[in-house]
Amino acid sequence: MDTIRGAKRNESRAAWIMVTPALLGLALTIALPFLIALVLSVTRYKLDTPLPVLFVGLEQFTRIFSDQSFLRALLNNLVFALVIVPVQTAAALALAMLLNRPLRVMPFFRTIFFLPVIFPMALVAIVWELIYAPGPNGLLNAFLSLVSFGNWQPVDFLNDPVWAMPAIMLLSLWQGVGFQMIIMLAGLQGIPRSLYEAAIIDGAGLWQQFFHITLPQMRNTIIFVALVTTILAFRLFDQVWILTQGGPNRATTTVIFETVRVVFKRQDVARGAAMSVVFFLVVLSITLIQHLYMKQHREVE
Amino acid sequence: MKKNPYQNYPLFLLMSAITVCCLLIGGCSSNSEQATGPVTLNVWFHTGRPAEQRVMEDQVARFNVSHKEISIALTMIPEGDYNTQVQAAASDGKLPDLLDLDGPFLANYAWRGHLAPLDGNLVDSLKDDLLPSIIKQGTYNGKVYALGTFDSGLGLYGNRQLLEAVNARIPQQPEEAWSKAEFQAILRKLAARDPDGMVLDLRLDYDGEWYTYAFSPVIESAGGDLINRASYQSAKGVLNGRQAIDAMQEIQSWFAKGYVTPNTDANSFVDGRVALSWCGHWEFPRYQNALGEKLVLIPLPDLGEGSKTGMGSWCWAITKKSKHKKEAMAFLQFLLQKDEVLAMSKANGAVPATYSAIAESDLYGAGGMLNLFVRQLQKSAVPRPITPGYPVITSAFQEAFLDIKNGAEVKATLDKAVRIIDEDISDNEGYRFIDQ
Repeated sequence: MDTIRGAKRNESRAAWIMVTPALLGLALTIALPFLIALVLSVTRYKLDTPLPVLFVGLEQFTRIFSDQSFLRALLNNLVFALVIVPVQTAAALALAMLLNRPLRVMPFFRTIFFLPVIFPMALVAIVWELIYAPGPNGLLNAFLSLVSFGNWQPVDFLNDPVWAMPAIMLLSLWQGVGFQMIIMLAGLQGIPRSLYEAAIIDGAGLWQQFFHITLPQMRNTIIFVALVTTILAFRLFDQVWILTQGGPNRATTTVIFETVRVVFKRQDVARGAAMSVVFFLVVLSITLIQHLYMKQHREVE
Repeated sequence: MKKNPYQNYPLFLLMSAITVCCLLIGGCSSNSEQATGPVTLNVWFHTGRPAEQRVMEDQVARFNVSHKEISIALTMIPEGDYNTQVQAAASDGKLPDLLDLDGPFLANYAWRGHLAPLDGNLVDSLKDDLLPSIIKQGTYNGKVYALGTFDSGLGLYGNRQLLEAVNARIPQQPEEAWSKAEFQAILRKLAARDPDGMVLDLRLDYDGEWYTYAFSPVIESAGGDLINRASYQSAKGVLNGRQAIDAMQEIQSWFAKGYVTPNTDANSFVDGRVALSWCGHWEFPRYQNALGEKLVLIPLPDLGEGSKTGMGSWCWAITKKSKHKKEAMAFLQFLLQKDEVLAMSKANGAVPATYSAIAESDLYGAGGMLNLFVRQLQKSAVPRPITPGYPVITSAFQEAFLDIKNGAEVKATLDKAVRIIDEDISDNEGYRFIDQ
């Protein structure tokens, strides 16, 4: 008995020692900066200021919550996540199902769909800036005009208050869907063929197979993909910085964009810190809620 | 019984410690200082046009040859985010010995204590030769912190052929500039003859500081300003006063009427698609190449208080922490020699900083094509506010300009900009001078 308990104690001690460097890394790169942000958010600290730093209580928080730009940014982030998560997840699942056939050409298509994921977002943004070019000669305008037999009025997508956010959503989806698709593909390939064969013998049609076999078997994968996509969706920044600068009139601004702008253009570090604290709490709550609602089923094997 | 390898804690800890140490040593930058040999001078330069870069590299090479005791290590940094990068390096304490800065940001760097005054090294003969605007730009709190080797010119480049087709008068002097009504009429007539109605290029393909540089003169021409320059403590009543609102509404009307081209390919003027290009000296070489005899330079329109234009450009400053201030000043004096100023001016088309160089310049001397820029600097150019609060002023104005361009209500937008500026000034205790 003693040797077993002793062995267990040695194992857990060894485990703690091995995990310490990683925990130290996490503490230094995530926990410490967050604590610094927390401290800065109750001051008026400006970047590289020669003035003494004063404690001002919750002044920064009052300021940001009465700032239209910040509130709109929060709203934009929520709307973006609410649209992107279901649409991108569904698109990823659809693409994965299309590519889940044992044809020789499938690896080629998988690579093509995955390619946008490895492009830096800055590159994607520049390319799509050309696609969204205003006037009848812009790529997308010309294409829509073609398929609508000339009934499409050219739109300046990135400068239109209605079209700007959907334009950003489309290009974000195009860039990210490959990543989720690969994960879904892995999930699909984990479903035993025997289930489908049994269903076909019982006379199930394609839709019934989808709803009663594919979806339940993919539950864990879909939940995982939705969670990851939600967190990634809140990181919306690069394309906004390059394409629209939060415009027109804050239609596409996001919290990270406002924070970067406030810190690097106005040197207002304390305000940026307050924004990031609030943002952290918002994203944390949303992921906790998601976790509670969508418990992944863990199979005991 | 097999021994658990992880039971040998001392050995395991030793291995981890060695690994961590190796990583730390590898990550540390090596500081090898030469005891003898030439003094290494770290110089940062923003990369503008390729021609500017070549001239800079050539000047550094020639200086290194003629001054064997100094070896200049030149670093070129892309212009786009230059200001942000310099600010980040400044707060890190990693500035070089000598660097060029965008003029209006000078007061902020000096206030934060990063720059060393040049006064002790500034000889009278040099001071007299410099354009007054150069010295004014480099002065903060009574001391000269930076000197530029060129100043800027801003105007309206015109396509003579298209303008004559609508019988537009072509003014030569700031005093003869088009009035608001005359400018509107010219735009209307040009648009009527233009296939897509877009006749004015405001260089919307630029962003950032361009908006403040190019369009705050319109506010000043109407009688407003970016900030109350009596004490630089508030922008209220000045940036959101009646005159400023009128000026920005005028600009907004140009957008609303569809006169302004987005200029996505930056070629609308050189391709002859638009008749007017609101732009600075740096495009003169390219514009002249494309339009030749058809190119004219016109002062900006007068919205009531006279035609006003922008000024100010890059200038060289020596950092406080530099251990080689004398060497840095030697290089700066080299750059301010007549031939060097002329070389840079030929490359980037900018206004030479010294009267001696202007006299010998084909473009800028009396009768030259760009002599208007020199006259503007002497009469109608308004410097951007010389205050440590400038970064926030320009950031707030840029945001306001973008909103107004997209059709936002002008008064509310300018009120918001004033709020941002005033809040920043009060947060920074009025940017009171800190003795460091």
